Amino acid sequence: MIRTTGLTKRFGGLTAVDDVDFELGENQLCSLIGPNGAGKTTFFNLLTGTLAPSEGSVEYRPRDGDWVDVTDDDPHETALRGIHRSYQITNVFPTATALENVRVAAQAHGGDAWKLWRNVGAFPEYEREAREILERVGLGAEAETPAETLSHGQKRHLEVAVALAGDPNVLLLDEPTAGVSSDAIDRLVELIRDVAEDHAVLLVEHNMDIVMDVSDRVAVLHQGELIADGNPQAVREDRTVQEAYLGGYDPGEETNAGGDAGTGGEAA
Amino acid sequence: MTDVGEEPETESTGGYLRRLLGEQAVHIAVILAFALYPVVYAVLVRTPLGAEFDVFLPRVHTMVAVLYIGLFAMSFDFISGYTGYLSFGHSLFYGTGAYLVVLTATGKVPMLGSDTPFMALLLVAGILAVAVAVLVGLVSFRLTGVYFAMITLGFAEVAHVFIRNWDHVSSNPRDGATIAGGDGFALGVPGVDTLQVEIGRIVGTNLGAVFGLGLGIEVDETWVSFYAIGAVVVVCYFLMQRIVHSPFGRVMIAIRENEERARAVGYDVYRFKLAAFAISGFFAAVAGGLFAGYSRSVAPSNTFDLFHTAEALLAAIIGGFGTLAGPLYGYLFTASVEGVLSTEHHGIARYLRRGLSDAMLSSGAGGVTVADAIGVLVDGRADLYLGIVFILFVLYVPHGILGTLRDRLGGTVAKRLSDRLRSTFGGRHR
Repeated sequence: MIRTTGLTKRFGGLTAVDDVDFELGENQLCSLIGPNGAGKTTFFNLLTGTLAPSEGSVEYRPRDGDWVDVTDDDPHETALRGIHRSYQITNVFPTATALENVRVAAQAHGGDAWKLWRNVGAFPEYEREAREILERVGLGAEAETPAETLSHGQKRHLEVAVALAGDPNVLLLDEPTAGVSSDAIDRLVELIRDVAEDHAVLLVEHNMDIVMDVSDRVAVLHQGELIADGNPQAVREDRTVQEAYLGGYDPGEETNAGGDAGTGGEAA
Repeated sequence: MTDVGEEPETESTGGYLRRLLGEQAVHIAVILAFALYPVVYAVLVRTPLGAEFDVFLPRVHTMVAVLYIGLFAMSFDFISGYTGYLSFGHSLFYGTGAYLVVLTATGKVPMLGSDTPFMALLLVAGILAVAVAVLVGLVSFRLTGVYFAMITLGFAEVAHVFIRNWDHVSSNPRDGATIAGGDGFALGVPGVDTLQVEIGRIVGTNLGAVFGLGLGIEVDETWVSFYAIGAVVVVCYFLMQRIVHSPFGRVMIAIRENEERARAVGYDVYRFKLAAFAISGFFAAVAGGLFAGYSRSVAPSNTFDLFHTAEALLAAIIGGFGTLAGPLYGYLFTASVEGVLSTEHHGIARYLRRGLSDAMLSSGAGGVTVADAIGVLVDGRADLYLGIVFILFVLYVPHGILGTLRDRLGGTVAKRLSDRLRSTFGGRHR
């Protein structure tokens, strides 16, 4: 669905993303992991056109289509093509209702936004789509609640709901579980699993239990470089990955990675 | 929120009309109140308490200013209140409209004769302002926040300096230009011109018989201007209101709420902002044109000046940012306060000096007499009190009059009230 070739982004002397070749397949759920500062969010910004790469290219292939170069697209153009993202820090329309948040996002894809002589009520299809999405993410009962008064967990669901509007093909989810308490996290994981059924998903996630649980594939960024890319089991056993990042992760087998425990771990 | 789309299709025409009347009840009431105001005012000042009413009620002349400056303030709110971009150079568009009208009337605009109908002039003024807004916006919307406000202010100041020194305007451009003598503008609305409805210096002879209604009220040109300008303002308000409630308007609000996310969900925000700015400029220029048509003279100080934008800002803060209609009420409030505290004969200072006895006026404590107090605290001190009101509103009523009212009612006043009416009358028209 989306692939990068030699993608590089330099900020002055710092290379945030370094020569990354990456491809995300249809309906695949790939987790992108790496310690803080590894370049994950920069990578997202390059994919959506928020940042222009220093080198390399981004290509996108819609369902039943051919590869197109989207390297120079603006964020709204990649969004209209079908590449949507959610944010690590909740980034919605705060005083609008949950429904309006999703409705306005759905409206962006219909081509009706310039009809300034028509009433919004003349386009019930966007509201219908928004209500369906809110049901799907479990916010059906909160449709009329202003986004800013939702609980943190609900805001994280709304964040995903806004990204779902407009039927994207590729979903880039930037840490949807950030700051969510452990008892509410299960529902978010369910939601991620659910949306991965009919979207290609690239997920940034720090919680290794979740990564190992939901991913079809795991890619590891370290200092801007893609150091591993493969099925979860293989990545977990990869020595370079363990040294760079996974040192602390150990589901019960104390002898496995104990030696590297001090080098990486999950930064706050 | 809205159930317009689910309305039964079989609804009869009568039912539709009744529903429309219900939904528009507040609008109709407000328009009626404005329309009846000159008559009510004229009647009230003839009652025994006429002197008091004369002091506390805004005069018709003031109400005309409320209409055109109110429209200017609404156009300011359209861009600033709905997209969140403070257009501190908004007087640029107002001035463009005002100068276009006066320069055309004095025959100084190529291709437009001095006999161009007023409505056509307003349209030309609006289109010219759209062009100016697009040029200014192309540069200014590369910036956000306070930098946007500053650069639009800069553009307006450049225009201000230019117009002060452009000797094409008149031999003394600093004093602006005046339309010398002659008749008022023909409106250019078919069927209306025959009634001799003209803006500015008008002889409203035919209308006098209609509106006078045997109450002994003289209908002068101010009245005719009030209704003619009022009609334009009402049309402009409904046009802007229509846009605000359109899908486009929702994008404007999305940009105000979170521009980054609006872009990320697929809106080319730069273009939307530019279009909103151009629309806002259009209506600001219409307001300026109305002002010029009414006063028949323009000067840099009452059109292009920064303080003119500040007036719209004050009206928007008091009336409610992002409420569209609010700024009109905000300016009605400030204009009323200014009228009451005016130094002129209809001000409260002269009223007190007339009404209080000499003994009262010369009494006092600590060497300060009542007359002194009136002179210092009341006479022409509107700016002082409005400044205090402004601060109080910013601190304690951040949503303004109309915004706070909407928060209380949980929706726009027009919608809430019609809902209440509907439930009171037991859904008869469903």
